[in-house]
Amino acid sequence: MPLFLGGWFQWLTGPQSTFDTHGPVAKSQLDVFYVTLWVTGITFVIVVSILSYATLKFKARKTDDPHAAIPHQGHGNPLIELSLIGLSVLALVFIAVPTLKSIWYSYDIPAERKENAYEVNAIGYQWWFKFEYPKEQIDGTGTLVAANELVIPAGRPVRINLRTTDVIHSFWVPKLAGKVDMIPNRGNHLWLEADQPGYFWGQCAEYCGESHAVMRFRVIALDEAAFATWVARQKTPARSVAADAPVTGSPAAPYEFKNPGRNAPGWSAEFDAAPFANWEKQQNVNAGENPALIAQGRQLFQQKTCVSCHTVRGHDFNGTTAPDLTRVGARTTIAAGLLENTPENLHRWIVHPDEVKPGNKMFVGVPMTGGTTMAGYINLDKDTGKPTGHNIVINDDEARALVSYLHSLK
Amino acid sequence: MSAHAQTDSVGHATHTAPPAEKRSWLLTRPTAKTGIVSWLTTVDHKKIGLMYGISALFFFLVGGVEALLIRLQLAVPNNTFISHQLYNELFTMHATTMIFLAVMPLSAAFFNYMMPLQIGARDVAFPRLNGFAFWVFLAGAIVINVGWFMKSGAPDAGWFGYAPLTSKAYSNQFTHDMSTDLWVMGLQILGVSSVVGSLNFIVTIINMRAPGMTMMRLPVFTWMTLVTAFLIILSFPAITIALVELMMDRSFGTAFFDISNGGLPILWQHLFWIFGHPEVYILILPAMGIISEILPTFSRKPLFGYPIIVFSGATIGFLGFGVWSHHMFTTGMGTVATAAFSLMTMAIAVPTGVKIFNWIGTLWGGHLQMRTPMMFALGFVWMFMMGGFSGVMHSAAPADAQQQDSYFVVAHFHYVLIGGSVFALLAGIHYWFPLIFGRKVSEFWGKLSFWVIFSGFNITFFPMHFLGLNGMPRRTAVYDGNMGWNDANLIATIGALILGVGIAIYFTVMIYTYFKGEKTSHDVWDARTLEWAVPSTPPPEHNFDVIPTVHARDAYWYEKNHQAEIAKEQAAHAADEASHGGIHMPSQSWFPIIAASGLLTGALFFVNHIMIGAIAGGAIMFLGVYLWASEGPGGYHIHLDDKNHKKH
Repeated sequence: MPLFLGGWFQWLTGPQSTFDTHGPVAKSQLDVFYVTLWVTGITFVIVVSILSYATLKFKARKTDDPHAAIPHQGHGNPLIELSLIGLSVLALVFIAVPTLKSIWYSYDIPAERKENAYEVNAIGYQWWFKFEYPKEQIDGTGTLVAANELVIPAGRPVRINLRTTDVIHSFWVPKLAGKVDMIPNRGNHLWLEADQPGYFWGQCAEYCGESHAVMRFRVIALDEAAFATWVARQKTPARSVAADAPVTGSPAAPYEFKNPGRNAPGWSAEFDAAPFANWEKQQNVNAGENPALIAQGRQLFQQKTCVSCHTVRGHDFNGTTAPDLTRVGARTTIAAGLLENTPENLHRWIVHPDEVKPGNKMFVGVPMTGGTTMAGYINLDKDTGKPTGHNIVINDDEARALVSYLHSLK
Repeated sequence: MSAHAQTDSVGHATHTAPPAEKRSWLLTRPTAKTGIVSWLTTVDHKKIGLMYGISALFFFLVGGVEALLIRLQLAVPNNTFISHQLYNELFTMHATTMIFLAVMPLSAAFFNYMMPLQIGARDVAFPRLNGFAFWVFLAGAIVINVGWFMKSGAPDAGWFGYAPLTSKAYSNQFTHDMSTDLWVMGLQILGVSSVVGSLNFIVTIINMRAPGMTMMRLPVFTWMTLVTAFLIILSFPAITIALVELMMDRSFGTAFFDISNGGLPILWQHLFWIFGHPEVYILILPAMGIISEILPTFSRKPLFGYPIIVFSGATIGFLGFGVWSHHMFTTGMGTVATAAFSLMTMAIAVPTGVKIFNWIGTLWGGHLQMRTPMMFALGFVWMFMMGGFSGVMHSAAPADAQQQDSYFVVAHFHYVLIGGSVFALLAGIHYWFPLIFGRKVSEFWGKLSFWVIFSGFNITFFPMHFLGLNGMPRRTAVYDGNMGWNDANLIATIGALILGVGIAIYFTVMIYTYFKGEKTSHDVWDARTLEWAVPSTPPPEHNFDVIPTVHARDAYWYEKNHQAEIAKEQAAHAADEASHGGIHMPSQSWFPIIAASGLLTGALFFVNHIMIGAIAGGAIMFLGVYLWASEGPGGYHIHLDDKNHKKH
């Protein structure tokens, strides 16, 4: 029995569990859920007991007995019926009161806390999230931008303005707050707060096309000091490693790349064991950087036209249709929260993006206004839907250089 | 039945009315009583009901196979069994198929077959229109499914097709897409079928009740037919408008939902759900009607609180139009709207709960016969109640913010749609099988199929509650193994396979019974309502030798207990009817199927942007309708001799 219960317990403790709340909004929503659970649970037990009793008690012992007495042909009892209606209404009042309170509470930051609130914009794209920090302006370039990993201050309410550039998405970090949709031509928002610093899983919760299932993100909550440090660092231009700089530390062990194939998992138990500590570790510069390889990667970033969509601020790479990569090396995930940011996974994402996230625009191209398409890795024939040629081919050596470069961007 | 004495050149007519005007062969009404022509031209509500039923069961199996493929993909994390694209097509088509092509037409099958019998009528008010509704349904079903056999694939925008995913800018991003056009046209055509059928049912129930069959004596299933028909005619216009707007966007460059020109995707959601929520009740009210027939029969007691059951059904239908935005609690409607829809949704739980109380009241003090239909009916009460309670949880908007679009919702609506609607329809098939085919399903195999279906269903869908609360979003083709979702998903897949086995047993036994089952009298359950008063099974073409006169709510029960009185009354009515020319029956016609075929061809050409073909399709339809109007009223008479029910 304990084993059995233990199994069920595990079913509700995943990284996206709505029971393991870490903030007041999720807590308020969970409290309402518990009220509904108790009221319906108790009602269920009562009704089912009566139903079972009636079924067993009045069951005909011999179903085919033609001489069985015909029961009393009663048509009902208005008094019983009306009292049951009254009781149902009463049960619903128990649910309605906390529901109304929580609707107002979870809609917007309480007035007395607004002063202390932080604000970010979350923008949905097929199939990744862009995060803007309107309070953090960078001289000469404008608003600080991040992608797929939202870093927020813990212990402060955060208002998140929800926008989308294409279809409807939905922003959902179950441990911090219930979801709110990102709807085109409509300004939505939600608020959430992380009680403590932590690392939280999130996922798009509205079907948004082919790769909806793999449109994920993370939220990292930092204490006030760490958050200030993080912001200050974000505002600086991308880190540069000169081609002739000496190798720092012992050279990085070369990795073997073997394509694990379509939908292969990109997570590890080691990371999950201490995600927040691993996030902190990820902020440090890697030991064993190879400056020559990094420089080659930076060149390839230009040659392979990555630059037309991606920004690396300070390296003259200013594309805007894809995630900002200025600090991609310091992120714990790539491909919109899908794969852990290891060299092997980044290599796989660069070389086989279609097997990681089918239909992604890096691979199939970006539709532009006017019906044209900015080509991605392949050219597609619009009539047949079949690829007609390859624009971008990246071999394993080139990928290693790109991985080195991108992982140097801390 | 009209007393109109017009006849035409139909051979069966022996009436002495003035000879009908001579009509050309084109306008001569077909008379085949057997063979394929008799089915293609039929206006008999029973044959049409059977065709609805068989088509619906076919699509039920198609939708079931789609569901099994979905579950196989989700059995283990990071599965590569099917692609994301195919998965998206499968869940879109699974829902569209189950809702529009399985449960709705299966309900329509019972409406067609049972409702006229329950009110003591010889057919529906507009027999040809009834045939038209069926053929149009079939046309729509073909249009929606034909994508599987085309390059662009099946529709993949989800069954509620949220804009702007359905707009050209997104569905046609990289290839020319036809699947969304097929979905739009298919649903539009199905809407025509539903509205036409519903108008017919409403007119029939209002006008064609047997003498003495007052509204408050209608069998509850007929009441629910009436409420459902009103829901359909009032809710379908909303989706019709939405689909027309979407079609205009896609084919003629308007911008209702086109975001780059200022369109508002949220408009689609409101239009869709103001249809979509009543649609939920369109799926469940007929099921409640069936249960309200079965429980009294097998408890050998009248329904407890008939007036409250009827009024709660009507109340659910009415309130059903005021709760649509609970599908949109996460769209940022603001506090007041969210609160209002939250409270309305809680309110609708009351009339639903009332039905459960009254069903239990029906059992109380009864003499319960645990036959297979009763097992399914009791299973319905349990499972529907569970779905109802998770529905109450959704009505609390803050809790719903976590549950919306998660597997918790998937669990909820499968409890109400399988545990509710499908269990009731399976119960109804068992219950009325002896009436329709004169054979009875073996109790052993029937009960076995029930227990396998019941366990498979719960093993599949109960774990999904946990998946949803543990943060698994719906409509995801893959999930990672580190999210705590592995066990529940594997169990759900095993459950789905068990459910599949149960359904296979159920239908194998049905097919076997059709050919080889034990023959029974038509009143095998000692039933209470008028459909069982037919003179033989299968019921004769004209349903009743004499139009019954109704004296009580459980009309047939009364008849069985007052045989002498009824016999005298029937003799008088038979003489009366004979003096008016005998039993008057409607003639068959080719034009319903011809008009419907025009819709089919028109839609297929339109989707391919061959406008000349689309216009031709429209022309065929209007020609069919014109000839339909021109072929005259038809009709013929049946005379029964004294000894047996032979026609001459």
